[in-house]
This record gives sequence, structure tokens and C-alpha cells, in this order.
Amino acid sequence: MPDQDTQDPEPQELLRVEGVVKHYPGVVALGGVSLDVRAGEIHALLGENGAGKSTLIGVLSGITQPTSGQVFVDGAPVQLRRPRDAQDLGITTIHQELSLAPDLTVLQNIFLGRELRRGPFGRGLLDERAMSNRVQDVIADFGLTERDLRRPVGEFGALTQHVVEIVKALAFDARLVILDEPTSGLAEEERVALFDHMRRLRERGISIVWVTHRLDELYGLADRITVLRDGRTVARTDTDESTPEDLVRLMVGRKATSLGAVAEDRTAAERPAGPAGSPVEVLRLENVSRRPVLHDVSLTISSGEILGIAGVAGAGRTELARVILGADRIDGGQISVDGKPVRIRHPRDAYRLGIAMVPEERKTLGILADFPLDKNTTVSRLGKVARLGMMLDRRRERAVTRDYIDELGVRTSSASERIRNLSGGNQQKIVIARCLFTGPRLIIFDEPTQGIDVAAKAEVYRLIHRFVAGGGAALVISSEIPELLHVSDRILVMREGAIAGEVRPDLRGDDLEADERASAEIMSLAARSVA
Amino acid sequence: MSVSPLSRRLSRVFAVEGVAVAVIFVGMIVFFSLASPFFLTGGNISNLLIESVIIALLAAGMTFVLVVGGIDLSVGSVTGLSAATTMWALMSGAPLPVGLLIGIGTGVLAGVVNGAVIALLGVNDFIVTLAMLSVGAGLLQVVTSNVQLTGVESEAFLWLAGGDVLGVPAPVLIAVVVVAVLEFVLIATPFGRSAYAAGIGPRAAELAGVPVRRVRFGVYVLSGACAGGAGVLLASKLNSVQSGLASGYELTAIAAAVLGGISLAGGRGSVWRAVLGALFLGTLSQGLQMLGVDPLWFTIVTGLSIVAAVALDRVVGRIALSRLLGADPSTPAGPSDGPADPGGPTADAALENDDPRLDQPLAGSAREARTS
Repeated sequence: MPDQDTQDPEPQELLRVEGVVKHYPGVVALGGVSLDVRAGEIHALLGENGAGKSTLIGVLSGITQPTSGQVFVDGAPVQLRRPRDAQDLGITTIHQELSLAPDLTVLQNIFLGRELRRGPFGRGLLDERAMSNRVQDVIADFGLTERDLRRPVGEFGALTQHVVEIVKALAFDARLVILDEPTSGLAEEERVALFDHMRRLRERGISIVWVTHRLDELYGLADRITVLRDGRTVARTDTDESTPEDLVRLMVGRKATSLGAVAEDRTAAERPAGPAGSPVEVLRLENVSRRPVLHDVSLTISSGEILGIAGVAGAGRTELARVILGADRIDGGQISVDGKPVRIRHPRDAYRLGIAMVPEERKTLGILADFPLDKNTTVSRLGKVARLGMMLDRRRERAVTRDYIDELGVRTSSASERIRNLSGGNQQKIVIARCLFTGPRLIIFDEPTQGIDVAAKAEVYRLIHRFVAGGGAALVISSEIPELLHVSDRILVMREGAIAGEVRPDLRGDDLEADERASAEIMSLAARSVA
Repeated sequence: MSVSPLSRRLSRVFAVEGVAVAVIFVGMIVFFSLASPFFLTGGNISNLLIESVIIALLAAGMTFVLVVGGIDLSVGSVTGLSAATTMWALMSGAPLPVGLLIGIGTGVLAGVVNGAVIALLGVNDFIVTLAMLSVGAGLLQVVTSNVQLTGVESEAFLWLAGGDVLGVPAPVLIAVVVVAVLEFVLIATPFGRSAYAAGIGPRAAELAGVPVRRVRFGVYVLSGACAGGAGVLLASKLNSVQSGLASGYELTAIAAAVLGGISLAGGRGSVWRAVLGALFLGTLSQGLQMLGVDPLWFTIVTGLSIVAAVALDRVVGRIALSRLLGADPSTPAGPSDGPADPGGPTADAALENDDPRLDQPLAGSAREARTS
């Protein structure tokens, strides 16, 4: 949709993008994008994976050169040939994967590559005092102390690291901050804190372009919204004038009708009919400990059941998954599979016992990026595709993978495609295929929908449900409470390495009040301090 | 896209990693054969192959280590030590099979120690194998200063490096068999696949059930065994072992692997490519020798040629790629011909079509060429 109101003199325009096109060989990443951002507004950029958000960010931060089109800052056309050009114009991008050096201190990170020096011509020694003075008033605003400046960034959590990036932007007079899915790795209350920081930035008159997948976050925070689809701007609207349903329709286009599930509509992704046979216990943990991260955790999961695990970051959720999989040893307690006590010393043992895992952080812990799809699919049970146990049967590997590609609806050109070339959702489906290939009875899903788009999320939920309907059991770890309420039969809340309580979501349907009650209960269990 | 089909095809060929090195290799052979009429004679070729066998074996073993993202600096002195133990056993009257077993066993033992300390204790591979390099060199010195290791009279033993089967030199035959087996192990067995997985992403591989530590242990043992085998061949060839034997071979082997396009970052490589790299270095030194170049200059030329070949591989690959992609905005013949109509049918087709995208895999391989 072309620009109509940019000539409007009223609100002061900071950034305007007109008809930006970016071709890659065989692909049109951007097919004509327009965007205008006013001074001091929070402008949400919505779109599914592949809609062109990342490419647009690349253009705005000087990393990607557009094939055609023009970017204006303060009404004047600008060329962003290098990241430095964007920085000089006051445009700072905070990427999803933060670019901080964990071993350097907060202060060193803030001034990395742009250190202040003293002495003749500013070429002498580093001037720590000048640097810390420069960020003095900013850090106080964002809840950092003088002492924090001297601590290594690696000691802080994801939220504080975001704050460091923000301070870094402010220290160099940023006027526009681009936040690329800032909340994807954050727990519920960290997100709320980050939103406060975003408001504070706006109060300082700084504009924010905010890339997000999550519609529920927008309201009450974003001023305006631009929606991208298939590399083009399809809508621009005031947040108050749109409903989530509108936005979903705009994001997914014609696909919307078949994917009603995405709008947090539980009925569309309804659980299939009950599992075959009566439930039997698959996994039991009795007082399992791994000090200091896990304390006396006891739980059971039965076939046909989805057990959700909630908790804030650091509550021991991933640590729990890792000991079940045998990636870490336990130092107390007992794990039983099918009622028999077992010792799981390595993930390989777990896969043999019928336990599989879809790890968190898909890109680094899930996929093997340089492998094609078929090698990713079979890697957990190579014995199943080896002749005489020693010679891998490439043809069978491909055939097996093609079956999963069809069955799970993976969008790819072939089974020999490199997995890194797929979108996040499709990568995740291959990781799930890898689990299914091992013939598991329990699959642990650790943040299974992190960083994938709404449509792919719905499909992941459906795969979980289908697996469970076939008699499997699932353990779902998630930082998103709505997600847990949506998929789980029961939810265990973890806090400081122990189980703090259990919440049963109302599975019957659209009862929003029940959902709210359940999520309030989860949050209070997760947050209550142990006096 | 208006790039002509021929240049497109050429670009694609050159963008494949290692092709530029192969072309230089061929060019070098042509040059040497023009410069010296004896270069392409049967005698010289077999001589060249024999000279390359030792490094080829070491590079083949090194490939496994590099694929898992490790490094083995110990193979030089372990080769020398294995040669010494073989000679010592044979001179003490041990039958040939026992002598071979002791020689190869020496290498395996060094590999076991390397692997155990690296994989089980988690000590840095560089440091561990550097220490083993030093220990091996020291032991070789101890042995050679106490025993005179020279003059084994076993015909069968000397045949290993000096004999032939129907005119084909025995060491070449041995190397071909060993290399073929190792290539099979790397490409077609669960162990080899696990090695690649461990090199691509050790943490991801571990969570996927790949026994990463066991694989890591295994590759060092394999590399040690190759060094042991190389030591036996070296002993047979020289029939004499002195202190300092085979020192520096570890760097030549690593250079050969790198020339073959094997990434030091792990996850990629194959045995035959490393062997190709070894042949490259062998050809170079043989050719220089025939041209009458002072041997003192060999290592210098070798070093420069490694840098030149790898750099050229990268530059040529990148130029070819950018021409192919038309990514360079200054190239008029890029695919950017139709931006005036962003909403045109091409835009839709490209995004909505799931057909195999012609350029996708190539784009991937170029990215690697750059990061390797």
C-alpha cells in the first residue's frame, strides 16, 4: 500500500522508507516496502517469518543494500552503505542475538570500538571516568548501578543484557532504536520490565521500531503498527484502530481461514480424540536432585498426557529436561521409565529408552546447521539406517526424511537441502522428525515455539497433540504462559530448582476468565520468594 | 537474470570449494612438465607418489581430527617414535608382524593418551597434542641415543617401502588401500557421520544422542594409528632412524588438509581431499628439485604456495559468486532488472513457490568458503 499521509506535517516524521526492494538470486526478499516512523513513537513491525522483517532491518541498519527504493531520515534521502552510516544518523539496531561480549564489563561493552580516550588528540589511554560519566544519568533511569558497570556482562540475565544494549544506544545519541523480537528469550515478568524500559525510551523522545510475533504484547504499548507480508507492506494502522483478528488476517493473508488457531483460538487446535488405550505411566521422577540447580523434584508423566513446566528463567526447567535426557548427571533420587528404575548417563541412553528431546535455542542446540535435512533427521538413531550396523544407507535416509517432510508438512525443495536454509518453523519440524525417528514414548519440548512464526506455532502444537493422541507423552517447557495453558493437561510450576505447585488449566474452551485465573496462579507460584 | 549460461556454469564450478586449488595443481604439473622433460616420466611419477605417501597418511588421519573440530600436533614426533620402535623390535629379532604391530601400536598408544586427556578430561586439544609432540620427540631422542637403529635385514620389511606389485610401488598400494578404507569410514559409517555432527555443533550433537566424547576419543586414536603406520613405512624406507626424524611433519600434514579445503573449524572435509593436498605439496617439492632449486628454499616456497593457493581459492570463489549472484550493485547484468514493478508476478512467484531454488545451495557453499 503506498504512502498517503507522509505529507501530513503534524507529527514529526523521523524515518521514512519508500518502495524498498531487495532481490536475492531467485528470491524477492522485499518487493516494495514502505514504513514511516514518527519521532518518539513505538512503531510495531509485524509479519510472519519470511515476510521480510529481517531484510528490512538489515537495510535500515546498513547491513543490506536495497536493490531499489529510498530511505529518508528527517525528510532527507540517505544512503546507508555501512552499519556506521546508520549509527551516525542515530539509528541503532538491537538484534535478537545480542552482540555483547560476555567477558567484558558492561562499561567496556557500551563503548566497545568507540572508547573514549584522554591525552593528546584523544589517542591516549582509555578514559574510564569519562565513559562512566557519560552514561551516568542513563543507567540510573534503567536500573543499573555504578557497580554494575564494572561487572562482566555474562553475569547478567537476558533482560539486563537488553538494557545494556539500550544504554549503549543512548550513550551515542540514538534517535531510533530497532528492537528485533526483544522478548523472545524473556520470562513473563522480564518482558513487563522491558516494556517499561521501552516506555522510558519513548518518554525521552526516542522512536522505537519493534519487531514482534506476539500480538498480545502490542496493545497498550505500540502507537502504530506496520504489517509486512511476502516482502511488502500490506497495512499501516494505529494500534487503537485494529483488533488482533484483523492483524492476524493481514499477516497470514489468504491462509487465515485455515489457521484460525493462531488467534489464540483454542477450538481450532482442539485436542484430537483421546489416546488409544488407557494411560500408563511412562516416566517417574522421585526426589531427583542435581545440586544446586535441582532439589527433590518428583513427577510422573503418563501416555496420552501433556505435562507443562512453567517457571521463570533460572528456575531449573531446562536443567530438569537435561537430567531426564541424561545430558547432566543427577546426584540424588531415582528416575524410572515404564516403572523400571533406570540410570541415564548420556542422551543416547535416553533415546534408546524412548525419551527424545526438542532442545531450546533451535539454532545452536537443535539443528546441525551444516547438515542437510536427511542427516539431521537420522542422526539420533543412525543404527536404524545402517546396513550390518556399519554402512549408512543414503537412499533410505532420504526416503525416511521425505516421509517426514510430507507427514509434518515441511516446506522445502528436497531432503538434501541444507537445514540452515529453512525457516525457523520448518527447522523445528525437522528436529521433531528427528525425535519421532527414534520411536520415542516421551518427547521433551523445551521452548518449542521460540522464534517461529504464528502459523508454524499452531502446527507445532498440532504435532504435539498428534504425538500424544497416538499414545505418546509430552513434557512441554515454555516461558509463555498462554502457550502452556493452551497445550498442557497439567502444569507444574518450578521455582528455584524445585516444584512449587501444580495448576490445571481449563481445557474446555474459551473461558478467558479461567485462563486468567490459571495464569495468575502460575505467576504467583513462580515468583513467590522462599522466605 | 541475464548472466550468460557459460559464465554462469563456470562461476558455479569455481564456487565449489577447492576447485581453484585443483586448477593450480594441474597448472603446476603442466608447468613442471614443460620445464623439465623428465617430470612426467613413469619413474618420476612413482617417485613423487612414494615421497607423498607418508604425508598423505598423516593428512588422512588428521582429516578426522579436523572434522570434529580438533587438531593433532603430535603426529610428527609420533611418526618418528613409531619408526624407532619398529626398528628396535625388528633388530631385537621380533618377527615382522610383531614389529609392525609394535610400530602401529606406538602410534595408537599416543592417540589413546591424547584422546583420553582431551575427550575425557576436557583439556584443550592444542595443548595436549603439543605436549605429546614434545614427549614423543624426547622419547625418540632417548631411544636413538641408546641404541643404534639401522640396518634391518628383513627383505619383507624393506619391501613395504621399496617393493612393488606389477610395477606399482608397494607403499602407494598400501596408502591407496588405507585411504580408501578411511574415506569409507568417514563418509559412510555411523562413526564418520557422528564425527561430522560433533564438528558442526558439539552441543547440539550431544543432545541429539551423538556420543561426542567417544567420537572425539576415537579420532585421536585413528590419527595416532595413521602416524604409527606412517612411522613403519618411514622406517622401512630409510632403514635407519635418527633423533629428530619426521619432525615438522605435523605441520605439513595440516597444510595438506587445509590445501584440500578442509576447514579448521570442523564439520567439513574428506580424506581424498587431504590426500590431494599432500600430492600438491609433494609435486611442488619434487618439481622444485628437478628445476635445481636449492632445497633450502623448499619450505619457503611451500609456505608461500599454501597461502597463495588458499587465498586464490577464496578470491576466485568470491568473484565467481558475486558475478553469478549479481549481488554487486555496480554489475549492470544483475538480477535487479525489474524493480520498477515490485508487485509483478515474479515477486509473487519467487516467494510463494516452493520449487527448488537454483541458487540456494550455491549461496550456501560460498558462505562456507568465506567462513572456513
